[in-house]
Amino acid sequence: MMESFFKRENAGRAIGLVVAVAFFAVLPLFIGEGSISLVNEMLILALAACGLNLMLGYAGMVSFGPAGLYAVGAYTTALLLLYTKIPFGLALIAGPVMAGIASIIVGWFCVRRTAVYFALLTLAFSQIIHTIIFEWYGFTKGDDGIVDIPVPEFLSSITNYYYFSLIIVCICVALMWMIVTSPFGKTLQALRENPDRTESIGIHVRRYQLSAFVLSGFFLGIAGSLFCCFNKSVFPDYADIMKSTEMLVVCLLGGIYQFLGPIGGSIVYMFLDKLITGYTQYWPLVLGLVILGLLIFLRGGIVGFIVERVAIARQGSRG
Amino acid sequence: MLRVEEIGKSFGGLMAVNGVSFQIEKGELSSIIGPNGAGKTTLFNLLTGHLSPDKGRILFKEKEITGLSPHGICKLGIGRSFQRTNIFPRLSAFDNVQVAVMSWRRKSSNIFLRVQKMLREETDEILESVGLGDKKEMTAGLLAHGDQRRLEIGIALGSHPELLLLDEPTAGMSPEESGRTVELIQGLARERGLTLLFIEHDMSVVFGISEKIRVMHMGSIIAEGMPEEVRANQDVQRIYLAEET
Repeated sequence: MMESFFKRENAGRAIGLVVAVAFFAVLPLFIGEGSISLVNEMLILALAACGLNLMLGYAGMVSFGPAGLYAVGAYTTALLLLYTKIPFGLALIAGPVMAGIASIIVGWFCVRRTAVYFALLTLAFSQIIHTIIFEWYGFTKGDDGIVDIPVPEFLSSITNYYYFSLIIVCICVALMWMIVTSPFGKTLQALRENPDRTESIGIHVRRYQLSAFVLSGFFLGIAGSLFCCFNKSVFPDYADIMKSTEMLVVCLLGGIYQFLGPIGGSIVYMFLDKLITGYTQYWPLVLGLVILGLLIFLRGGIVGFIVERVAIARQGSRG
Repeated sequence: MLRVEEIGKSFGGLMAVNGVSFQIEKGELSSIIGPNGAGKTTLFNLLTGHLSPDKGRILFKEKEITGLSPHGICKLGIGRSFQRTNIFPRLSAFDNVQVAVMSWRRKSSNIFLRVQKMLREETDEILESVGLGDKKEMTAGLLAHGDQRRLEIGIALGSHPELLLLDEPTAGMSPEESGRTVELIQGLARERGLTLLFIEHDMSVVFGISEKIRVMHMGSIIAEGMPEEVRANQDVQRIYLAEET
């Protein structure tokens, strides 16, 4: 009985996946370039948030500085394309690799502390990264940012770039799904629930936390690189605390205990962002209220809420 | 199997564990009793690496383990349960045990295997053996207190310990439940050939199953022997049994 239940669940997942991918694949046929550009932004935000959620939701490590690593990815790609002649593909890959290396260094310090001290360390490091970018004018062009980043011809059209990022985002999400459903992913969840107990079943807690940190950083780096090539520009804002907050809000909005949480969160976030900024300039105010409402009434986030309702409905129909 | 030599630990000015020495043979079912604050849990924490001793040595299977990390000591074959229920509350009972089994099988860091299909039989078998076979899909944090205590033992069994340290496994249980749990533990020890070391402050729990009892008081072991000997010991009666009347 259990077996058939799992199979049915898997079949449901597979159908959902195909529908979702097909939806995004045909989307450009129905909406204009402006909207496609927004959807693209949303996809990249979703990727960044999923990356952050590996450590936030799965390993229970609250980071206030994901934007720092995102910016490392973006700036690495941008600077390589600006100063060197290396192929576009390599520059794109160098972003997440560099973000991964930065995560090893940052993470090595951060995992030595827990909870609020961990969070503050991540914030401190992202501020350091922001400052380096901002002040090192000769190399990073400071707050002028880097504009007119050369990207290949075939990616200069918005629709083409949209398909390009759709493919990369899909691959990354699949990889992350693989990670969270592996023994490693389950062990991270145990670590989130009870680090001390995890240590007592023979797990080297810091090593696992560092691994989660680096994986997170790697995916944040991909998102950064992807976004910088889409915009053809980078600015110090990428490493800003506002950007970190945005990623955290997206995760919370969707629900950090659900794999699809950050994806759902980014869809809702982009909608709210564009909808509300159309009516009022007080978007941050509305955002503040949304966060308040979430934390008080919807702790599991939107996706978490839906999953919970479905589970209750299923139990009801069975009983 | 386990040899403890003159270990000591102090917190500030307080000597929590003061020059304790003892030895445990393979297959032994023994216990450490003593009133609250005697230093029993501190002693356990020294044995499992949660604390490192100020002095003395701990040898497990003739190998020195003094000052190793908890995960290192677990890997060598010492498992433990905790006095305060210490489980993974948001995970299912099944997952709770499975993560321990995965760790013991050295699969925890693998990202290519599917966790859903892994080590199911072994995990199920452990859950059955602690009486949670029919509750395995339940969220651990929602289980009844007694079930959580048994799950705790299940997690400890998941890492296939040779020596299992149980810190007040019946804490907070009703007398009948305590009795059942003690029987369960006895059965498990027999089936799996475990060496057990209990900590208890409730003497009635351990008299039935311990082959050897050590009495701790103010950081030192003041008596050691068969249950009857310990019961007859004057010092023990004075400092310990008197407390209950």
